[in-house]
Amino acid sequence: MRRPRGSGGLWLGALILAMLVLPQIVSNDFAIDIFIRVLLFAFIGVAWNLIGGYARQLSLGHAAYFGLGAYTSTILQIRFGVSPWIGMPAGGIVAMLASLPIGSLCFRLRGPYFAIATIATAQVLMLLFLKFRDFAWGAEGTTIPDLGNAPLMMQFEAKSAYYYIALALLAIGLAITAWIERSWIGYYLVAVGEDEDAAEAVGVNALRIKRNIYLVSAFLTALAGTFYVQYIYFIDPNTAFSFNISVEAALVSIVGGIGTLWGPVLGTVLLEATSALLQSWLGGSHGGVQLTVYGLILIAVILWRPAGLLGVLTDVYRRLLRAGATPAKAAPIDG
Amino acid sequence: MAEALVVRNLSKRFGGLRAVQDVSFSVREGETLALIGPNGAGKTTSFNLITGYFRPDAGSVLAFGRELVGLRPHEVCAHGLARTFQVARPFGRMTVLANVMTGAFLRHRKPDRAEMRAREVLDFVGLAARADVPARDLTTIDQRRLEMARALATDPRLLLLDEVMAGLNPAEIDQAVALVEKLSRRGLTVVVVEHVMRAVMALARHIVVLDHGQKIADGDPAEVMANEGVIRAYLGTGYAQAAASGGGAC
Amino acid sequence: MLTAVAQAIVNGLLIGGIYSLVSIGVTLIFGVVKIVNFAQGEFVMIGMYISFFLATRFGIDPLVSLAVSMPVLFVIGMLLQHFLIRRVLALGDMPQIFLTFALSLLLMNVALLLFTANYRTVETPYSEAAIHLGGITVAVAKLIAFVVAMVLSLVLWVFLHATDLGKAMRAAAQNRDVAMLMGINPDRVFAVAVGVSLALAGAAGSLLMPFYPAYPMVGQVFVLMAFVAVVLGTLGNVTGALIASLMMGVAESLGIQFVGADSGLIVVFAMLLLTLAVRPSGLFGGWTR
Repeated sequence: MRRPRGSGGLWLGALILAMLVLPQIVSNDFAIDIFIRVLLFAFIGVAWNLIGGYARQLSLGHAAYFGLGAYTSTILQIRFGVSPWIGMPAGGIVAMLASLPIGSLCFRLRGPYFAIATIATAQVLMLLFLKFRDFAWGAEGTTIPDLGNAPLMMQFEAKSAYYYIALALLAIGLAITAWIERSWIGYYLVAVGEDEDAAEAVGVNALRIKRNIYLVSAFLTALAGTFYVQYIYFIDPNTAFSFNISVEAALVSIVGGIGTLWGPVLGTVLLEATSALLQSWLGGSHGGVQLTVYGLILIAVILWRPAGLLGVLTDVYRRLLRAGATPAKAAPIDG
Repeated sequence: MAEALVVRNLSKRFGGLRAVQDVSFSVREGETLALIGPNGAGKTTSFNLITGYFRPDAGSVLAFGRELVGLRPHEVCAHGLARTFQVARPFGRMTVLANVMTGAFLRHRKPDRAEMRAREVLDFVGLAARADVPARDLTTIDQRRLEMARALATDPRLLLLDEVMAGLNPAEIDQAVALVEKLSRRGLTVVVVEHVMRAVMALARHIVVLDHGQKIADGDPAEVMANEGVIRAYLGTGYAQAAASGGGAC
Repeated sequence: MLTAVAQAIVNGLLIGGIYSLVSIGVTLIFGVVKIVNFAQGEFVMIGMYISFFLATRFGIDPLVSLAVSMPVLFVIGMLLQHFLIRRVLALGDMPQIFLTFALSLLLMNVALLLFTANYRTVETPYSEAAIHLGGITVAVAKLIAFVVAMVLSLVLWVFLHATDLGKAMRAAAQNRDVAMLMGINPDRVFAVAVGVSLALAGAAGSLLMPFYPAYPMVGQVFVLMAFVAVVLGTLGNVTGALIASLMMGVAESLGIQFVGADSGLIVVFAMLLLTLAVRPSGLFGGWTR
């Protein structure tokens, strides 16, 4: 879990700088839109990775928390005039509250049972919101009133503003993950993910640590939901609780490197880049191409690199270092 | 000396099978007790009952003055009883060091302190050189050592070892026996489930024999060896063979 | 009121027959190979498209095209086991769950590319026919589907209990190590189990075709229902899956009748979550893992 210190800080600084100036260099709205999608889904992936990657509770129902976050802030905004800046953490808290009963139900189940139960909870929430016509607009959904440039209501003329919010979210998610990875919590999560009984034998309260990390994961996922609604100015149950959200959250982590800090980021970049390329080659009219390719990539990763593509990158990097005549120091292997 | 562990009238059934029936024994602080008996005698089940993995149908388990029945396994561990598993269960995704640190975090939440404690324990069991190896790549004996190191890192007052000698060659058994003796000399109370009689005789001053879930003998090695029930149920075949083959595993 | 209840129960039982073919397939694969097949619904979809094309190109009745869809899917199942599932059996939960999950994603979207999202239906002479029994209407196409589904379930039961291969499968489901000691070749048993499961999914597809539209995502409806039934019936338990599927069909149908047209699934999922809360091991027996 500890990484060798050294050039890491330098790389990180350069990366942060590059990410900050990127929208100033690329002003094309289409490109910025892709960047925002990458940042957002990387963030959702990071949130999923805490419970799904480190603790290996393979949730396929994170859309539940995305949707609750989206609906909480939207209802607060439209019904009560509350700014989404407040609605965002409020949605996070609602998601945390929802994660408690969902967790207590699902955590008693293992492996495929757990995955199926989480799918069911997200579906139930979607079906419920389809029925809530009075305060949540039912199946038709609603548009968010366009106030022009209203930073206090999380509405901006410039797309770059959304970019920076998404970047900040991702940075928060990564910082939390990095901190957890280094502390006892990270060790306990991986131990529980490996073997719950053995973890209990060395004093790990498996149920409690799963519940607590699920709270964090739900909270972060809900923030993404609020942001997304504010960005697209529209909400309905099929968007907010879309099964695709649950899928993508898991997918980006698995493709990039499940249970690693940068895995979800790498996975999102790869998947979104592929999908953007496909779109520009084929035009937007070919429904199914993107997910077909996702399916193929996922199968390929599982069969040849179940630890994810981050491992491939670090292998290459180490080989390059070695080629550069630096005596390779054996790094602790983890994650 | 005070009692470290008092097991009273412990019973557990699985469907029609009486895995453990009305078993009582006690372990004094600092003593090493060996729990022996043929396969299926209820030894591992007893471990699971004591450490909270199974809930007994009846009976009580008192450790250092506290009732353990009803506690979850992590609570039992926090109370100072650490166990190993018959089949080693390392956290394969972690390094050896990280495995032991996971144990050490129980008493030391700071990573630096936990790492220090973990390295001490790794040194003690002779795994220091393998600290950075992924746990899944260890050999059988090293996995057993890791299993013990991880348990010791929780700073237990009582250590329960479930067949740590199984599958080891005679030289490795000597190493393992030396390790347990070293722990015992440091004042740790130890309960071993063991098939390897040579190890049992070397380690234990107190032996409890189970057969078909029931206790059939309890005493020092000489008493137990002289017990007719024991000879009939267990040593009659096992020990005789072991003695004939020069003291290997039964 | 009473007629409405009876009508809902009849409708539920009839569709439950189809659910049972899908769930028995899921539970059979889980029992023998220990894999949850998230793509089972997509094989129903493939069965539907096979029957659809045979009907529109060659005028073959969907019930006749069972004779094509079942063997084709059986072979696909053997290949699936041999080339994909076999390779993740020694790995952990993650690859096992996400392999079939990825396959589901892939098949759905390939179908979308090939056939578009349009609904495809097949008209048969009996598609609109119905029998009236004292106020209750029984659609002939659904009745046929139900009867054939029950016959196939019975055939499977006999296969599992009376043939050597079937007994080997049950042995492998109960205890893989012991089964291997008994000299059972797991590769062959696993391949046949997956083949049979997929053949059942294909049969469900063909049986649905006279009264249900084919479209790329159609499998999702059935696989969700099957998962619920399989968990209720305890993963790996064939009889449990059958009974639970019929119950699911009835629950869904009653939900639609009395709570609202879009409430069938809510009732079903609520039942699932309730069961998991009360009896995590399902209604019909203990843990299978």
